[in-house]
Amino acid sequence: MRLAKVNRMKAKILVLVIEDMPDNAELARKVLTARGYEVILAYDAESGLKTAKDQHPDIILLDLGLPDYDGQTLAGWLRDEPSLTNIPIVAVTAWPPETARQMVESYGCNGYISKPINVANFADQIAAFLKPSNNAS
Amino acid sequence: MSLTSADDSIRLAPASQFTIEQLTALYNKTRVDYMVPMPMNVARLADYIHLYDIDLDHSFVAMQNEEMLGVAMLGVRHQRAWITRLGVAPATRRHGAGQMLVKSLIAAADSLHLPLIMLEVIKNNAPAHQLFLKLGFRETGELLVLRRPPRTSPPDPMVADAQRLDRTDSLVLVGHDRGMQPWTNQSESLTNAQEVSGIRLTLADGSRGWLVYQRQKFLLTRFAFKTERGDPVTVARALLSHLHSQYPRLDTQIENIQLGDPHLPAFYDMGYMESFRRVEMWRNASVG
Repeated sequence: MRLAKVNRMKAKILVLVIEDMPDNAELARKVLTARGYEVILAYDAESGLKTAKDQHPDIILLDLGLPDYDGQTLAGWLRDEPSLTNIPIVAVTAWPPETARQMVESYGCNGYISKPINVANFADQIAAFLKPSNNAS
Repeated sequence: MSLTSADDSIRLAPASQFTIEQLTALYNKTRVDYMVPMPMNVARLADYIHLYDIDLDHSFVAMQNEEMLGVAMLGVRHQRAWITRLGVAPATRRHGAGQMLVKSLIAAADSLHLPLIMLEVIKNNAPAHQLFLKLGFRETGELLVLRRPPRTSPPDPMVADAQRLDRTDSLVLVGHDRGMQPWTNQSESLTNAQEVSGIRLTLADGSRGWLVYQRQKFLLTRFAFKTERGDPVTVARALLSHLHSQYPRLDTQIENIQLGDPHLPAFYDMGYMESFRRVEMWRNASVG
């Protein structure tokens, strides 16, 4: 087990938000923190991968439009990393539903949440992905 | 060159007057509300400018007072130009900045005596499409952006006499006549790219062809391909089977594949799927 995982407080669920738009990232942080989640942010694919490896979050929220590599490519890297295989990855995207569903399934995400996020439902949507065997979008 | 709008509130300045950091921030600001925003970081935009021969002296930024409202860039190659990265910040659209930018790029291409201007517009981006039609562009085709996820079951490589090509040999093939390709897939784009290599193969029935590609850290991209003899679908299937057997863990994204390309069924057979479409448009100097 990695040191970072051992050291951090396990009382809270750790959410990694990978999102290049600071306003969107801060909104997600604010909403999820208010519901008791611990939130860490990454603003591009390379730092998102590094943070995921270092921190081992309980769930990853992944914007599909990132400035270095796009979110699908990052999802592929995350799924290719043995230590991260079981962490739920939820894409956050403005793609049309059918395209989003096809893309996230084929890239190994557990589902997607449509942009713009619905602040009232967002935390519940995340919670649903943390339940075992829930791949619903 | 410094142009102003009819009411003098918007003026254009050459993009070369700004830093790459400023242009990157502006470009991202103009795309923030797109369904497919495709943001860039500084390194990616710098690479884009190099790959696609963007001439920043003939590209423009729209300004209002000291605020950067929009941007449009011009690629320049032998006898042709390319309009790209056009965008206006959402809050300042519909005030003529986009039209000013495109008109200025057309004027710049004319000043360079380039007889053809090419561009692509995302399908269903009606305002941009209408603007280009108004300014004399005509539709020449529909283009596909395709992806193939990593870890898609790699096909067994089809039996063939296959040869891996280094960069030099690959670029020789790409330099051969492949017809008029979209700008991103032209020979110059691959010549400007790093990590280019290729596969050439001959099947038992004598069919043969080649595929040239760029291999990035986690991604295969920028394909150029040609069937020299035989059925294009069979040749493409064989080429892709060899490519993806070689790189089973890499994601693949290719753009601007012409909708009528005869190789296309082989891509779908090999697990590619459509991300979105663009419309290709051209404008000849004699038009408008």
